[in-house]
Amino acid sequence: MVRVLFHRDGAVHEGEVAAESNLVVRAGVKHFPYPHLRYGCGMGKCGKCASRVLSGGEHLPAPNWKEQKLLGERLELGFRLLCQIWLTHDIELQQDSAAPAVGGTA
Amino acid sequence: MLKVKQEAELTALMDHTAFRAALENAIKGKSANQAPFSMAWAAGKLSRAHLARWAENHYHYVGPFADYLGYVYARMPERYVDAKDFLLANMYEEEIGGDRHTDLLIRFAEACGTTASRVKNPDNMSATTRGLQSWCYAVAMREDPIVAVAGLVVGLESQVPSIYRKQTPTLREKYGFTDEEVEFFDLHIVSDEIHGERGYQIVLEHADTPELQQRCLRICEIGAEMRLLYTTALYRDYVEAELPFTELGLAA
Repeated sequence: MVRVLFHRDGAVHEGEVAAESNLVVRAGVKHFPYPHLRYGCGMGKCGKCASRVLSGGEHLPAPNWKEQKLLGERLELGFRLLCQIWLTHDIELQQDSAAPAVGGTA
Repeated sequence: MLKVKQEAELTALMDHTAFRAALENAIKGKSANQAPFSMAWAAGKLSRAHLARWAENHYHYVGPFADYLGYVYARMPERYVDAKDFLLANMYEEEIGGDRHTDLLIRFAEACGTTASRVKNPDNMSATTRGLQSWCYAVAMREDPIVAVAGLVVGLESQVPSIYRKQTPTLREKYGFTDEEVEFFDLHIVSDEIHGERGYQIVLEHADTPELQQRCLRICEIGAEMRLLYTTALYRDYVEAELPFTELGLAA
């Protein structure tokens, strides 16, 4: 199992998910981190699921082409698109209250 | 005595864990991953022309998916609010949640050398594809709506992530497509995982009699058979003459 700490609006939500879980898929079927995780298209286009990785990022694969295209410089700040990531190790994430503007600038 | 016990098991209401396992087993034996077209695809042995024929057919199977679900939605009892909402979300996501899924399929088709006009032309689908499309419409319009969800979403749509997870890296690495050209497959790994899981939730929750559970299991088997039939026909119709089964390197 993978332990997930999810920060949102000043609260920390904790849950365990099976290895190879995608948090947007889980939220889409109303499992943790639902209802705390904001997400949209589930296809790396809208950027609504963008979250900053606070710890555990070293276990994630390199950002894919959609993340590179959409997040741009925000990748340097630790942002990732949760719809594009399947978790294999414990991770701590923070999602801002407002959805970030899309387009590759910080 | 044994027969009596088997009949009792057949007619007993399964709990969610047992019923889910039974649904997964019903699909597993007929997975379209076993079709020669899928195996040739995964082995990198298809040509772009073969993939273009696939896209021209696939459009007519998946293109009306929101239409199929629309019929199920309209016939789903009003009291199953969650089920109706899930169906509506699926329809929205297929069509306007992000890029329209069929637009991405056409993008892939064009990269394979065919045209949007050819893809949209129903005269370019095979008789078997027409049969699969018709079966989907028939299930959506005529079956109990819970059974229809089992057939269309659990039996068909939930198979997609495992198929595309296998095929997508191959499209990049062996066939040389770009990321943008294969986006149709990338998005389905996420969206169909959500859709398939929602389908399971609806069926597990609302197939609440032994008879309904058995009908769901049977239609999952039939749905998986239909998809396997469709995929096998793609090989027979478009590939076999150029790439006989013995040359796939897959024969036992």
